[in-house]
Amino acid sequence: MKGLLNFFHKIEPDKEKSPFLHTVFDGFFTFLFVPNHVTAKGVHVRDRMDLKRLMIFVVLAMMGCYVFGAYNIGHHHFAALGEYTQLGEGIGPKLWYGLLKILPILIVTMAVGLGIEFYYASRKGHGIEEGFIVSGMLIPLIMPPDLPLWMLGLAVVFAVILGKEAFGGTGMNILNVALLTRVFVFFAYPTYISGDEVWISGVAGVDGVTGATPLALAAKGGWEAVTQVYSASDMWWGFIPGSIGETSKPLIILGALFLIFTRVASWRIMISMVLGAAFVGMLMNGFAPEITADTAGVFKFMAVPWYYQFYMGSFLFAMAFMATDPVTASGTNKGKWIYGFLIGSIGMVIRIINPAYPEGWMLAILLLNVFAPTIDHFVVEGNMKRRAKRAEAIA
Amino acid sequence: MGEFINTFIKAAFIENLLLAYFLGMCSFLAVSKSVKTAIGLGFAVIFVLGITMPINWLINEYLLSEAGVFGMDLTFLRFILFIAVIASMVQLVEMVVEKFSPSLYAALGIFLPLITVNCAILGGSLFMVSREYTLGNAVAFGLGGGVGWFLAIVALAAIREKIRYSNVPAPLRGLGMAFLLTGLMGLAFMSLMGIDPAIFLD
Repeated sequence: MKGLLNFFHKIEPDKEKSPFLHTVFDGFFTFLFVPNHVTAKGVHVRDRMDLKRLMIFVVLAMMGCYVFGAYNIGHHHFAALGEYTQLGEGIGPKLWYGLLKILPILIVTMAVGLGIEFYYASRKGHGIEEGFIVSGMLIPLIMPPDLPLWMLGLAVVFAVILGKEAFGGTGMNILNVALLTRVFVFFAYPTYISGDEVWISGVAGVDGVTGATPLALAAKGGWEAVTQVYSASDMWWGFIPGSIGETSKPLIILGALFLIFTRVASWRIMISMVLGAAFVGMLMNGFAPEITADTAGVFKFMAVPWYYQFYMGSFLFAMAFMATDPVTASGTNKGKWIYGFLIGSIGMVIRIINPAYPEGWMLAILLLNVFAPTIDHFVVEGNMKRRAKRAEAIA
Repeated sequence: MGEFINTFIKAAFIENLLLAYFLGMCSFLAVSKSVKTAIGLGFAVIFVLGITMPINWLINEYLLSEAGVFGMDLTFLRFILFIAVIASMVQLVEMVVEKFSPSLYAALGIFLPLITVNCAILGGSLFMVSREYTLGNAVAFGLGGGVGWFLAIVALAAIREKIRYSNVPAPLRGLGMAFLLTGLMGLAFMSLMGIDPAIFLD
Protein backbone atom coordinates (compact mmCIF):
# COMPACT_ATOMS: atom_id res chain seq x y z
CA MET A 1 0.00 0.00 0.00
CA LYS A 2 2.78 2.39 0.94
CA GLY A 3 4.54 1.88 -2.36
CA LEU A 4 1.31 2.56 -4.20
CA LEU A 5 0.81 5.76 -2.22
CA ASN A 6 4.34 6.93 -3.05
CA PHE A 7 3.73 6.12 -6.69
CA PHE A 8 0.59 8.22 -6.70
CA HIS A 9 2.39 11.15 -5.09
CA LYS A 10 5.13 10.89 -7.70
CA ILE A 11 2.80 11.07 -10.68
CA GLU A 12 0.46 13.73 -9.28
CA PRO A 13 0.07 16.35 -12.05
CA ASP A 14 0.24 20.05 -11.38
CA LYS A 15 -3.22 21.42 -10.62
CA GLU A 16 -2.50 24.84 -12.11
CA LYS A 17 -0.91 23.64 -15.32
CA SER A 18 -3.27 20.84 -16.27
CA PRO A 19 -6.56 20.93 -14.39
CA PHE A 20 -8.05 18.13 -16.46
CA LEU A 21 -5.26 15.68 -15.69
CA HIS A 22 -5.37 16.61 -12.04
CA THR A 23 -9.10 15.98 -11.88
CA VAL A 24 -8.62 12.56 -13.43
CA PHE A 25 -5.76 11.82 -11.03
CA ASP A 26 -7.79 12.92 -8.05
CA GLY A 27 -10.67 10.71 -9.12
CA PHE A 28 -8.56 7.58 -9.27
CA PHE A 29 -6.55 8.44 -6.18
CA THR A 30 -9.60 8.79 -3.97
CA PHE A 31 -10.88 5.53 -5.34
CA LEU A 32 -8.05 3.70 -3.63
CA PHE A 33 -7.33 5.89 -0.64
CA VAL A 34 -9.46 7.90 1.74
CA PRO A 35 -8.30 11.47 1.11
CA ASN A 36 -6.88 13.42 4.00
CA HIS A 37 -8.28 16.79 2.95
CA VAL A 38 -9.66 18.70 5.89
CA THR A 39 -12.79 20.75 5.47
CA ALA A 40 -12.11 24.39 6.17
CA LYS A 41 -15.50 25.97 6.65
CA GLY A 42 -19.17 25.18 7.02
CA VAL A 43 -20.87 22.14 8.44
CA HIS A 44 -19.99 18.80 6.91
CA VAL A 45 -20.92 15.24 7.49
CA ARG A 46 -17.75 13.50 8.64
CA ASP A 47 -18.09 9.87 7.78
CA ARG A 48 -15.85 7.31 6.11
CA MET A 49 -18.95 6.03 4.35
CA ASP A 50 -18.73 8.73 1.71
CA LEU A 51 -20.26 8.82 -1.74
CA LYS A 52 -17.53 6.66 -3.21
CA ARG A 53 -17.85 3.76 -0.74
CA LEU A 54 -21.64 3.98 -1.03
CA MET A 55 -21.47 3.58 -4.77
CA ILE A 56 -19.01 0.69 -4.59
CA PHE A 57 -21.59 -1.20 -2.52
CA VAL A 58 -24.17 -0.78 -5.26
CA VAL A 59 -21.66 -1.96 -7.85
CA LEU A 60 -20.87 -5.01 -5.70
CA ALA A 61 -24.56 -5.77 -5.34
CA MET A 62 -25.01 -6.04 -9.10
CA MET A 63 -21.93 -8.20 -9.77
CA GLY A 64 -24.04 -11.37 -9.64
CA CYS A 65 -26.26 -9.98 -12.37
CA TYR A 66 -23.20 -9.30 -14.52
CA VAL A 67 -21.81 -12.83 -14.29
CA PHE A 68 -25.19 -14.41 -14.83
CA GLY A 69 -25.94 -11.96 -17.64
CA ALA A 70 -22.80 -13.02 -19.48
CA TYR A 71 -23.68 -16.70 -19.11
CA ASN A 72 -27.28 -16.12 -20.15
CA ILE A 73 -26.33 -14.27 -23.34
CA GLY A 74 -24.00 -17.10 -24.31
CA HIS A 75 -26.50 -19.79 -23.35
CA HIS A 76 -29.27 -18.37 -25.53
CA HIS A 77 -26.90 -17.71 -28.40
CA PHE A 78 -25.58 -21.28 -28.50
CA ALA A 79 -28.94 -22.86 -27.70
CA ALA A 80 -30.54 -21.00 -30.60
CA LEU A 81 -27.83 -22.30 -32.91
CA GLY A 82 -28.38 -25.82 -31.63
CA GLU A 83 -25.07 -26.22 -29.76
CA TYR A 84 -24.73 -26.85 -26.01
CA THR A 85 -28.49 -26.83 -25.58
CA GLN A 86 -28.33 -28.13 -21.99
CA LEU A 87 -27.76 -25.63 -19.22
CA GLY A 88 -24.62 -27.25 -17.83
CA GLU A 89 -22.87 -27.74 -21.17
CA GLY A 90 -20.20 -25.47 -22.57
CA ILE A 91 -20.09 -23.07 -19.69
CA GLY A 92 -16.70 -21.79 -20.78
CA PRO A 93 -17.62 -20.81 -24.34
CA LYS A 94 -20.94 -19.40 -23.15
CA LEU A 95 -19.33 -17.16 -20.57
CA TRP A 96 -16.68 -16.10 -23.06
CA TYR A 97 -19.26 -15.23 -25.69
CA GLY A 98 -21.27 -13.23 -23.15
CA LEU A 99 -18.17 -11.44 -21.95
CA LEU A 100 -17.36 -10.38 -25.49
CA LYS A 101 -20.86 -8.93 -25.72
CA ILE A 102 -20.99 -7.15 -22.36
CA LEU A 103 -17.49 -5.74 -22.33
CA PRO A 104 -17.83 -3.42 -25.35
CA ILE A 105 -21.14 -2.12 -24.00
CA LEU A 106 -19.57 -1.46 -20.63
CA ILE A 107 -16.48 0.16 -22.12
CA VAL A 108 -18.45 2.49 -24.39
CA THR A 109 -20.81 3.48 -21.57
CA MET A 110 -17.97 4.20 -19.19
CA ALA A 111 -15.73 5.95 -21.70
CA VAL A 112 -18.48 8.27 -22.92
CA GLY A 113 -20.06 8.92 -19.54
CA LEU A 114 -16.88 9.32 -17.55
CA GLY A 115 -15.33 11.40 -20.31
CA ILE A 116 -18.17 13.89 -20.04
CA GLU A 117 -18.02 13.76 -16.27
CA PHE A 118 -14.24 14.40 -16.20
CA TYR A 119 -14.63 17.25 -18.65
CA TYR A 120 -17.30 18.99 -16.59
CA ALA A 121 -15.44 18.39 -13.33
CA SER A 122 -12.26 20.01 -14.60
CA ARG A 123 -14.25 22.84 -16.17
CA LYS A 124 -16.12 23.61 -13.00
CA GLY A 125 -12.99 23.10 -10.94
CA HIS A 126 -14.27 20.56 -8.47
CA GLY A 127 -13.37 16.93 -7.87
CA ILE A 128 -14.86 14.18 -9.96
CA GLU A 129 -18.29 13.20 -8.78
CA GLU A 130 -18.50 9.47 -9.12
CA GLY A 131 -22.22 9.42 -9.67
CA PHE A 132 -21.66 7.99 -13.08
CA ILE A 133 -19.94 4.85 -11.80
CA VAL A 134 -23.22 3.42 -10.63
CA SER A 135 -25.27 4.66 -13.59
CA GLY A 136 -22.56 3.41 -15.94
CA MET A 137 -22.60 -0.03 -14.35
CA LEU A 138 -26.39 -0.16 -14.45
CA ILE A 139 -26.76 0.90 -18.08
CA PRO A 140 -25.30 -2.30 -19.66
CA LEU A 141 -27.57 -4.42 -17.50
CA ILE A 142 -30.73 -2.85 -18.93
CA MET A 143 -29.71 -3.05 -22.59
CA PRO A 144 -30.27 -5.83 -25.09
CA PRO A 145 -27.00 -7.63 -25.96
CA ASP A 146 -26.83 -6.61 -29.62
CA LEU A 147 -27.51 -2.90 -29.29
CA PRO A 148 -25.33 -0.94 -31.76
CA LEU A 149 -22.68 0.83 -29.74
CA TRP A 150 -23.08 4.24 -31.35
CA MET A 151 -26.71 4.34 -30.24
CA LEU A 152 -25.60 3.53 -26.75
CA GLY A 153 -22.98 6.29 -26.85
CA LEU A 154 -25.50 8.82 -28.12
CA ALA A 155 -28.00 7.88 -25.43
CA VAL A 156 -25.36 8.19 -22.72
CA VAL A 157 -24.40 11.64 -23.99
CA PHE A 158 -28.04 12.69 -23.89
CA ALA A 159 -28.66 11.36 -20.41
CA VAL A 160 -25.48 12.61 -18.81
CA ILE A 161 -25.54 16.12 -20.27
CA LEU A 162 -29.26 16.93 -20.31
CA GLY A 163 -30.29 14.68 -17.47
CA LYS A 164 -27.50 15.36 -15.04
CA GLU A 165 -24.87 17.97 -15.83
CA ALA A 166 -27.53 20.55 -16.78
CA PHE A 167 -28.94 20.16 -13.28
CA GLY A 168 -25.58 20.69 -11.63
CA GLY A 169 -24.09 17.20 -11.55
CA THR A 170 -24.28 14.21 -9.23
CA GLY A 171 -26.99 14.33 -6.62
CA MET A 172 -28.94 17.05 -8.37
CA ASN A 173 -30.61 15.16 -11.20
CA ILE A 174 -34.38 14.78 -11.23
CA LEU A 175 -34.62 11.75 -13.48
CA ASN A 176 -32.69 8.50 -13.09
CA VAL A 177 -29.73 8.72 -15.49
CA ALA A 178 -29.61 5.02 -16.35
CA LEU A 179 -33.31 4.96 -17.17
CA LEU A 180 -33.03 8.17 -19.15
CA THR A 181 -30.39 6.45 -21.29
CA ARG A 182 -32.67 3.53 -21.90
CA VAL A 183 -35.71 5.66 -22.57
CA PHE A 184 -33.73 7.62 -25.15
CA VAL A 185 -32.87 4.44 -27.05
CA PHE A 186 -36.40 3.20 -26.54
CA PHE A 187 -38.08 6.18 -28.18
CA ALA A 188 -35.38 7.00 -30.71
CA TYR A 189 -34.58 3.48 -31.99
CA PRO A 190 -37.49 1.33 -30.81
CA THR A 191 -36.76 -1.59 -33.12
CA TYR A 192 -33.38 -2.16 -31.49
CA ILE A 193 -34.66 -2.44 -27.94
CA SER A 194 -38.13 -3.96 -28.15
CA GLY A 195 -39.86 -6.74 -30.01
CA ASP A 196 -39.05 -10.42 -30.25
CA GLU A 197 -35.82 -10.37 -32.24
CA VAL A 198 -33.39 -8.35 -30.19
CA TRP A 199 -33.01 -10.41 -27.03
CA ILE A 200 -30.95 -13.30 -28.33
CA SER A 201 -27.51 -12.31 -29.43
CA GLY A 202 -26.02 -13.07 -32.82
CA VAL A 203 -28.87 -15.03 -34.37
CA ALA A 204 -30.35 -12.41 -36.72
CA GLY A 205 -31.36 -14.18 -39.89
CA VAL A 206 -31.25 -17.68 -38.41
CA ASP A 207 -34.50 -19.40 -39.31
CA GLY A 208 -36.88 -20.73 -36.73
CA VAL A 209 -35.43 -18.83 -33.82
CA THR A 210 -37.81 -16.65 -31.87
CA GLY A 211 -36.67 -14.90 -28.79
CA ALA A 212 -39.99 -13.65 -27.53
CA THR A 213 -39.79 -12.67 -23.88
CA PRO A 214 -42.31 -14.13 -21.44
CA LEU A 215 -44.02 -10.74 -21.28
CA ALA A 216 -44.50 -10.60 -25.04
CA LEU A 217 -46.04 -14.08 -24.93
CA ALA A 218 -48.24 -13.23 -21.97
CA ALA A 219 -49.53 -10.08 -23.67
CA LYS A 220 -50.81 -12.22 -26.52
CA GLY A 221 -51.95 -15.40 -24.88
CA GLY A 222 -51.81 -15.16 -21.10
CA TRP A 223 -50.04 -17.53 -18.75
CA GLU A 224 -50.71 -20.67 -20.82
CA ALA A 225 -48.83 -19.20 -23.78
CA VAL A 226 -45.86 -18.44 -21.52
CA THR A 227 -45.63 -21.86 -19.93
CA GLN A 228 -45.68 -23.53 -23.33
CA VAL A 229 -42.28 -21.98 -24.01
CA TYR A 230 -40.68 -21.33 -20.64
CA SER A 231 -41.16 -23.19 -17.40
CA ALA A 232 -41.75 -21.25 -14.20
CA SER A 233 -38.43 -22.43 -12.80
CA ASP A 234 -36.58 -21.18 -15.90
CA MET A 235 -38.15 -17.79 -15.33
CA TRP A 236 -37.28 -17.84 -11.65
CA TRP A 237 -33.62 -18.79 -12.20
CA GLY A 238 -33.37 -16.46 -15.16
CA PHE A 239 -32.77 -18.68 -18.20
CA ILE A 240 -35.01 -16.54 -20.38
CA PRO A 241 -34.24 -13.92 -23.02
CA GLY A 242 -34.31 -10.34 -21.80
CA SER A 243 -32.14 -7.35 -21.04
CA ILE A 244 -28.68 -8.42 -19.93
CA GLY A 245 -29.03 -8.21 -16.17
CA GLU A 246 -32.73 -8.38 -15.48
CA THR A 247 -33.42 -12.10 -15.74
CA SER A 248 -32.00 -13.85 -12.69
CA LYS A 249 -34.41 -13.34 -9.82
CA PRO A 250 -32.40 -15.00 -6.99
CA LEU A 251 -29.27 -12.97 -7.76
CA ILE A 252 -31.24 -9.73 -7.88
CA ILE A 253 -32.90 -10.56 -4.57
CA LEU A 254 -29.46 -11.27 -3.10
CA GLY A 255 -28.28 -7.91 -4.36
CA ALA A 256 -31.35 -6.21 -2.96
CA LEU A 257 -30.81 -7.82 0.45
CA PHE A 258 -27.18 -6.71 0.38
CA LEU A 259 -28.28 -3.15 -0.38
CA ILE A 260 -30.84 -3.20 2.41
CA PHE A 261 -28.33 -4.73 4.83
CA THR A 262 -25.72 -2.05 4.06
CA ARG A 263 -28.48 0.58 4.23
CA VAL A 264 -27.68 1.91 0.80
CA ALA A 265 -31.14 1.37 -0.62
CA SER A 266 -34.44 2.03 1.06
CA TRP A 267 -36.43 -1.04 2.13
CA ARG A 268 -39.52 1.14 2.32
CA ILE A 269 -39.48 1.77 -1.41
CA MET A 270 -38.88 -1.91 -2.21
CA ILE A 271 -41.66 -3.19 0.03
CA SER A 272 -44.19 -0.59 -1.01
CA MET A 273 -43.38 -1.24 -4.66
CA VAL A 274 -44.07 -4.96 -4.21
CA LEU A 275 -47.32 -4.09 -2.43
CA GLY A 276 -48.36 -1.71 -5.21
CA ALA A 277 -47.66 -4.24 -7.94
CA ALA A 278 -49.40 -7.04 -6.04
CA PHE A 279 -52.40 -4.81 -5.36
CA VAL A 280 -52.89 -3.90 -9.01
CA GLY A 281 -52.18 -7.48 -10.03
CA MET A 282 -54.97 -8.75 -7.77
CA LEU A 283 -57.28 -6.00 -8.99
CA MET A 284 -56.64 -7.05 -12.58
CA ASN A 285 -57.27 -10.70 -11.66
CA GLY A 286 -60.54 -9.68 -10.06
CA PHE A 287 -61.71 -7.71 -13.08
CA ALA A 288 -60.54 -10.16 -15.72
CA PRO A 289 -63.51 -11.58 -17.60
CA GLU A 290 -64.11 -15.26 -18.36
CA ILE A 291 -61.44 -16.54 -20.72
CA THR A 292 -62.66 -18.09 -23.95
CA ALA A 293 -60.83 -18.91 -27.16
CA ASP A 294 -61.50 -15.54 -28.75
CA THR A 295 -60.83 -13.35 -25.72
CA ALA A 296 -58.55 -10.42 -26.55
CA GLY A 297 -54.93 -10.81 -25.44
CA VAL A 298 -55.13 -8.01 -22.93
CA PHE A 299 -57.82 -9.84 -20.92
CA LYS A 300 -55.75 -13.01 -20.92
CA PHE A 301 -52.85 -10.95 -19.61
CA MET A 302 -55.13 -9.53 -16.92
CA ALA A 303 -56.02 -13.03 -15.86
CA VAL A 304 -52.38 -14.07 -15.26
CA PRO A 305 -52.21 -14.83 -11.51
CA TRP A 306 -50.67 -11.82 -9.82
CA TYR A 307 -47.80 -13.76 -8.21
CA TYR A 308 -46.62 -14.94 -11.61
CA GLN A 309 -46.30 -11.32 -12.72
CA PHE A 310 -43.15 -11.16 -10.59
CA TYR A 311 -41.60 -14.01 -12.58
CA MET A 312 -41.73 -12.12 -15.84
CA GLY A 313 -39.99 -8.98 -16.96
CA SER A 314 -37.80 -6.67 -14.98
CA PHE A 315 -39.87 -5.94 -11.90
CA LEU A 316 -37.28 -7.07 -9.37
CA PHE A 317 -34.38 -5.38 -11.12
CA ALA A 318 -36.27 -2.09 -11.28
CA MET A 319 -37.23 -2.45 -7.64
CA ALA A 320 -33.74 -3.24 -6.36
CA PHE A 321 -31.58 -0.90 -8.42
CA MET A 322 -33.72 1.69 -10.19
CA ALA A 323 -36.53 2.84 -7.94
CA THR A 324 -34.30 3.01 -4.88
CA ASP A 325 -31.87 5.52 -6.39
CA PRO A 326 -31.61 7.88 -3.40
CA VAL A 327 -31.19 10.96 -5.58
CA THR A 328 -34.33 10.72 -7.65
CA ALA A 329 -36.60 8.97 -5.14
CA SER A 330 -38.65 10.72 -2.50
CA GLY A 331 -36.55 11.85 0.41
CA THR A 332 -39.06 11.61 3.23
CA ASN A 333 -39.97 8.29 4.83
CA LYS A 334 -43.69 8.72 4.35
CA GLY A 335 -43.01 9.94 0.82
CA LYS A 336 -41.05 6.75 0.09
CA TRP A 337 -44.07 4.58 0.88
CA ILE A 338 -46.25 6.62 -1.47
CA TYR A 339 -43.55 6.78 -4.14
CA GLY A 340 -42.92 3.03 -4.12
CA PHE A 341 -46.60 2.12 -4.06
CA LEU A 342 -47.37 4.39 -7.01
CA ILE A 343 -44.46 2.98 -9.04
CA GLY A 344 -45.66 -0.53 -8.34
CA SER A 345 -49.24 0.18 -9.31
CA ILE A 346 -48.62 2.45 -12.31
CA GLY A 347 -45.92 0.14 -13.66
CA MET A 348 -48.31 -2.78 -13.47
CA VAL A 349 -51.03 -0.77 -15.23
CA ILE A 350 -48.62 0.13 -18.04
CA ARG A 351 -47.37 -3.44 -18.33
CA ILE A 352 -50.81 -5.00 -18.57
CA ILE A 353 -53.15 -2.54 -20.23
CA ASN A 354 -50.91 -0.27 -22.27
CA PRO A 355 -50.45 -1.98 -25.63
CA ALA A 356 -47.77 0.53 -26.65
CA TYR A 357 -45.13 -0.73 -24.23
CA PRO A 358 -44.14 -4.28 -23.34
CA GLU A 359 -42.92 -3.43 -19.85
CA GLY A 360 -43.85 -0.67 -17.45
CA TRP A 361 -41.15 -0.12 -14.86
CA MET A 362 -38.83 2.17 -16.80
CA LEU A 363 -41.60 4.63 -17.60
CA ALA A 364 -43.35 4.28 -14.25
CA ILE A 365 -40.16 5.12 -12.39
CA LEU A 366 -39.46 8.10 -14.63
CA LEU A 367 -43.03 9.32 -14.11
CA LEU A 368 -42.70 9.07 -10.35
CA ASN A 369 -39.25 10.69 -10.49
CA VAL A 370 -41.07 13.69 -11.90
CA PHE A 371 -43.59 13.60 -9.06
CA ALA A 372 -41.19 12.74 -6.22
CA PRO A 373 -40.53 16.42 -5.35
CA THR A 374 -44.29 17.02 -5.27
CA ILE A 375 -44.80 14.10 -2.89
CA ASP A 376 -42.00 15.37 -0.67
CA HIS A 377 -43.43 18.86 -0.71
CA PHE A 378 -46.80 17.71 0.56
CA VAL A 379 -45.33 15.33 3.15
CA VAL A 380 -43.17 18.13 4.54
CA GLU A 381 -46.12 20.52 4.44
CA GLY A 382 -48.21 17.98 6.38
CA ASN A 383 -45.47 17.58 8.98
CA MET A 384 -45.23 21.32 9.40
CA LYS A 385 -48.97 21.64 9.93
CA ARG A 386 -49.03 18.81 12.47
CA ARG A 387 -46.16 20.25 14.43
CA ALA A 388 -47.66 23.71 14.40
CA LYS A 389 -50.84 22.25 15.83
CA ARG A 390 -48.88 20.40 18.48
CA ALA A 391 -47.01 23.54 19.42
CA GLU A 392 -50.32 25.38 19.68
CA ALA A 393 -51.78 22.68 21.89
CA ILE A 394 -48.82 22.92 24.26
CA ALA A 395 -48.84 26.69 24.40
CA MET B 1 -71.24 7.25 -17.22
CA GLY B 2 -68.37 5.02 -18.33
CA GLU B 3 -67.94 7.13 -21.41
CA PHE B 4 -67.46 10.28 -19.32
CA ILE B 5 -64.95 8.58 -17.05
CA ASN B 6 -63.10 7.46 -20.15
CA THR B 7 -62.96 11.02 -21.50
CA PHE B 8 -61.89 12.37 -18.12
CA ILE B 9 -59.04 9.89 -17.67
CA LYS B 10 -57.90 10.37 -21.23
CA ALA B 11 -57.84 14.15 -20.93
CA ALA B 12 -56.12 14.17 -17.56
CA PHE B 13 -53.41 11.56 -17.98
CA ILE B 14 -53.14 10.11 -21.42
CA GLU B 15 -53.59 13.12 -23.70
CA ASN B 16 -52.45 15.71 -21.21
CA LEU B 17 -53.09 19.16 -22.71
CA LEU B 18 -49.76 20.40 -21.45
CA LEU B 19 -47.32 17.56 -21.81
CA ALA B 20 -48.78 15.86 -24.87
CA TYR B 21 -50.05 18.86 -26.85
CA PHE B 22 -47.88 21.55 -25.24
CA LEU B 23 -50.80 23.93 -24.83
CA GLY B 24 -50.84 26.61 -22.17
CA MET B 25 -47.08 26.83 -21.93
CA CYS B 26 -46.77 30.54 -21.13
CA SER B 27 -48.34 30.48 -17.69
CA PHE B 28 -46.97 26.99 -17.10
CA LEU B 29 -43.43 28.28 -17.45
CA ALA B 30 -43.97 31.63 -15.78
CA VAL B 31 -46.03 30.75 -12.69
CA SER B 32 -44.27 27.54 -11.70
CA LYS B 33 -41.69 29.00 -9.35
CA SER B 34 -43.50 28.02 -6.16
CA VAL B 35 -45.93 25.23 -5.43
CA LYS B 36 -48.41 27.48 -3.67
CA THR B 37 -49.04 29.79 -6.60
CA ALA B 38 -48.97 26.83 -8.97
CA ILE B 39 -51.79 25.21 -7.02
CA GLY B 40 -53.79 28.46 -7.14
CA LEU B 41 -53.37 28.84 -10.86
CA GLY B 42 -54.06 25.15 -11.37
CA PHE B 43 -57.41 25.41 -9.62
CA ALA B 44 -58.25 28.54 -11.60
CA VAL B 45 -57.56 26.66 -14.84
CA ILE B 46 -59.64 23.65 -13.73
CA PHE B 47 -62.51 26.00 -12.91
CA VAL B 48 -62.32 28.02 -16.11
CA LEU B 49 -61.99 24.93 -18.29
CA GLY B 50 -64.80 23.14 -16.48
CA ILE B 51 -67.16 26.12 -16.84
CA THR B 52 -66.34 27.37 -20.32
CA MET B 53 -66.56 23.97 -21.99
CA PRO B 54 -70.31 23.40 -21.45
CA ILE B 55 -71.12 27.07 -22.12
CA ASN B 56 -69.16 26.99 -25.35
CA TRP B 57 -70.77 23.71 -26.23
CA LEU B 58 -74.24 25.24 -25.83
CA ILE B 59 -73.24 28.31 -27.85
CA ASN B 60 -71.76 26.19 -30.58
CA GLU B 61 -74.77 23.92 -30.72
CA TYR B 62 -77.68 26.34 -30.33
CA LEU B 63 -76.42 29.66 -31.67
CA LEU B 64 -73.74 28.95 -34.23
CA SER B 65 -74.76 25.78 -36.00
CA GLU B 66 -77.30 25.66 -38.78
CA ALA B 67 -79.70 23.79 -36.55
CA GLY B 68 -79.53 26.63 -33.99
CA VAL B 69 -81.94 29.48 -33.33
CA PHE B 70 -80.66 31.69 -36.16
CA GLY B 71 -80.99 28.92 -38.69
CA MET B 72 -77.74 29.70 -40.47
CA ASP B 73 -74.12 28.67 -40.34
CA LEU B 74 -72.40 31.15 -38.01
CA THR B 75 -69.38 29.04 -37.22
CA PHE B 76 -67.06 31.84 -38.40
CA LEU B 77 -67.98 33.58 -35.12
CA ARG B 78 -66.72 30.62 -33.12
CA PHE B 79 -63.35 32.00 -32.10
CA ILE B 80 -64.59 35.40 -31.03
CA LEU B 81 -67.50 34.02 -29.01
CA PHE B 82 -65.40 31.35 -27.34
CA ILE B 83 -62.83 33.92 -26.33
CA ALA B 84 -65.55 36.23 -25.02
CA VAL B 85 -66.95 33.45 -22.83
CA ILE B 86 -63.48 32.54 -21.57
CA ALA B 87 -62.64 36.18 -20.83
CA SER B 88 -65.80 36.71 -18.82
CA MET B 89 -65.21 33.52 -16.81
CA VAL B 90 -61.66 34.60 -16.10
CA GLN B 91 -62.97 37.94 -14.89
CA LEU B 92 -65.22 36.04 -12.51
CA VAL B 93 -62.33 33.97 -11.19
CA GLU B 94 -60.25 37.08 -10.82
CA MET B 95 -62.86 38.82 -8.70
CA VAL B 96 -63.30 35.76 -6.50
CA VAL B 97 -59.56 35.31 -5.99
CA GLU B 98 -59.07 39.00 -5.23
CA LYS B 99 -61.84 38.90 -2.66
CA PHE B 100 -60.87 35.73 -0.85
CA SER B 101 -57.11 35.40 -1.27
CA PRO B 102 -55.36 38.73 -1.84
CA SER B 103 -51.95 37.09 -1.35
CA LEU B 104 -52.58 34.58 -4.14
CA TYR B 105 -53.95 37.43 -6.26
CA ALA B 106 -50.71 39.35 -5.80
CA ALA B 107 -48.58 36.26 -6.46
CA LEU B 108 -50.37 35.37 -9.69
CA GLY B 109 -50.26 38.98 -10.88
CA ILE B 110 -50.72 39.43 -14.59
CA PHE B 111 -50.97 35.70 -15.20
CA LEU B 112 -54.45 35.45 -13.77
CA PRO B 113 -56.07 37.70 -16.42
CA LEU B 114 -53.79 36.05 -18.93
CA ILE B 115 -55.61 32.75 -18.46
CA THR B 116 -57.93 34.31 -21.04
CA VAL B 117 -55.33 33.77 -23.69
CA ASN B 118 -54.12 30.50 -22.19
CA CYS B 119 -54.13 28.32 -25.27
CA ALA B 120 -55.06 25.25 -23.21
CA ILE B 121 -58.50 26.71 -22.61
CA LEU B 122 -59.33 27.85 -26.11
CA GLY B 123 -57.62 24.68 -27.35
CA GLY B 124 -59.91 22.63 -25.13
CA SER B 125 -62.99 24.26 -26.61
CA LEU B 126 -61.75 23.76 -30.15
CA PHE B 127 -60.87 20.11 -29.48
CA MET B 128 -64.40 19.73 -28.19
CA VAL B 129 -65.79 21.00 -31.50
CA SER B 130 -63.47 19.03 -33.76
CA ARG B 131 -63.96 15.79 -31.80
CA GLU B 132 -67.75 16.33 -31.78
CA TYR B 133 -68.15 15.71 -28.06
CA THR B 134 -71.57 15.54 -26.43
CA LEU B 135 -72.35 17.95 -23.59
CA GLY B 136 -71.43 15.41 -20.92
CA ASN B 137 -68.21 14.56 -22.68
CA ALA B 138 -67.39 18.26 -22.98
CA VAL B 139 -67.70 18.71 -19.22
CA ALA B 140 -65.61 15.60 -18.57
CA PHE B 141 -62.99 16.75 -21.06
CA GLY B 142 -62.85 20.22 -19.51
CA LEU B 143 -62.45 18.93 -15.96
CA GLY B 144 -60.00 16.21 -17.01
CA GLY B 145 -57.89 18.59 -19.04
CA GLY B 146 -57.84 20.99 -16.10
CA VAL B 147 -56.77 18.25 -13.68
CA GLY B 148 -54.00 17.18 -16.04
CA TRP B 149 -52.81 20.77 -16.37
CA PHE B 150 -52.94 21.15 -12.59
CA LEU B 151 -50.85 18.01 -12.01
CA ALA B 152 -48.24 19.08 -14.53
CA ILE B 153 -47.79 22.60 -13.17
CA VAL B 154 -47.64 21.44 -9.55
CA ALA B 155 -45.02 18.81 -10.43
CA LEU B 156 -42.94 21.35 -12.31
CA ALA B 157 -43.22 23.85 -9.46
CA ALA B 158 -42.09 21.26 -6.90
CA ILE B 159 -39.12 20.33 -9.08
CA ARG B 160 -38.19 23.97 -9.54
CA GLU B 161 -38.40 24.53 -5.80
CA LYS B 162 -36.06 21.58 -5.35
CA ILE B 163 -33.48 22.59 -7.95
CA ARG B 164 -33.26 26.06 -6.50
CA TYR B 165 -30.48 24.57 -4.37
CA SER B 166 -28.70 22.88 -7.27
CA ASN B 167 -25.66 24.23 -8.99
CA VAL B 168 -27.34 24.74 -12.34
CA PRO B 169 -25.02 26.23 -15.00
CA ALA B 170 -25.61 29.98 -15.14
CA PRO B 171 -27.01 30.20 -18.70
CA LEU B 172 -29.64 27.57 -17.92
CA ARG B 173 -30.98 29.11 -14.73
CA GLY B 174 -34.64 30.07 -14.75
CA LEU B 175 -36.51 29.69 -17.99
CA GLY B 176 -33.91 27.49 -19.70
CA MET B 177 -34.24 24.92 -16.95
CA ALA B 178 -38.02 25.12 -17.13
CA PHE B 179 -37.96 24.32 -20.84
CA LEU B 180 -35.59 21.42 -20.29
CA LEU B 181 -37.73 20.08 -17.46
CA THR B 182 -40.88 20.35 -19.55
CA GLY B 183 -39.26 18.19 -22.21
CA LEU B 184 -38.12 15.59 -19.69
CA MET B 185 -41.53 15.57 -18.04
CA GLY B 186 -43.14 15.07 -21.42
CA LEU B 187 -40.88 12.04 -21.87
CA ALA B 188 -41.99 10.62 -18.54
CA PHE B 189 -45.66 11.30 -19.31
CA MET B 190 -45.39 9.24 -22.46
CA SER B 191 -45.69 6.24 -20.15
CA LEU B 192 -49.47 6.45 -20.18
CA MET B 193 -49.88 7.28 -23.84
CA GLY B 194 -51.45 4.50 -25.83
CA ILE B 195 -53.74 3.21 -23.08
CA ASP B 196 -57.31 3.01 -24.33
CA PRO B 197 -59.69 2.94 -21.35
CA ALA B 198 -62.60 2.33 -23.73
CA ILE B 199 -61.85 -1.39 -24.15
CA PHE B 200 -62.63 -2.03 -20.49
CA LEU B 201 -65.99 -0.31 -20.52
CA ASP B 202 -68.03 -2.75 -22.50
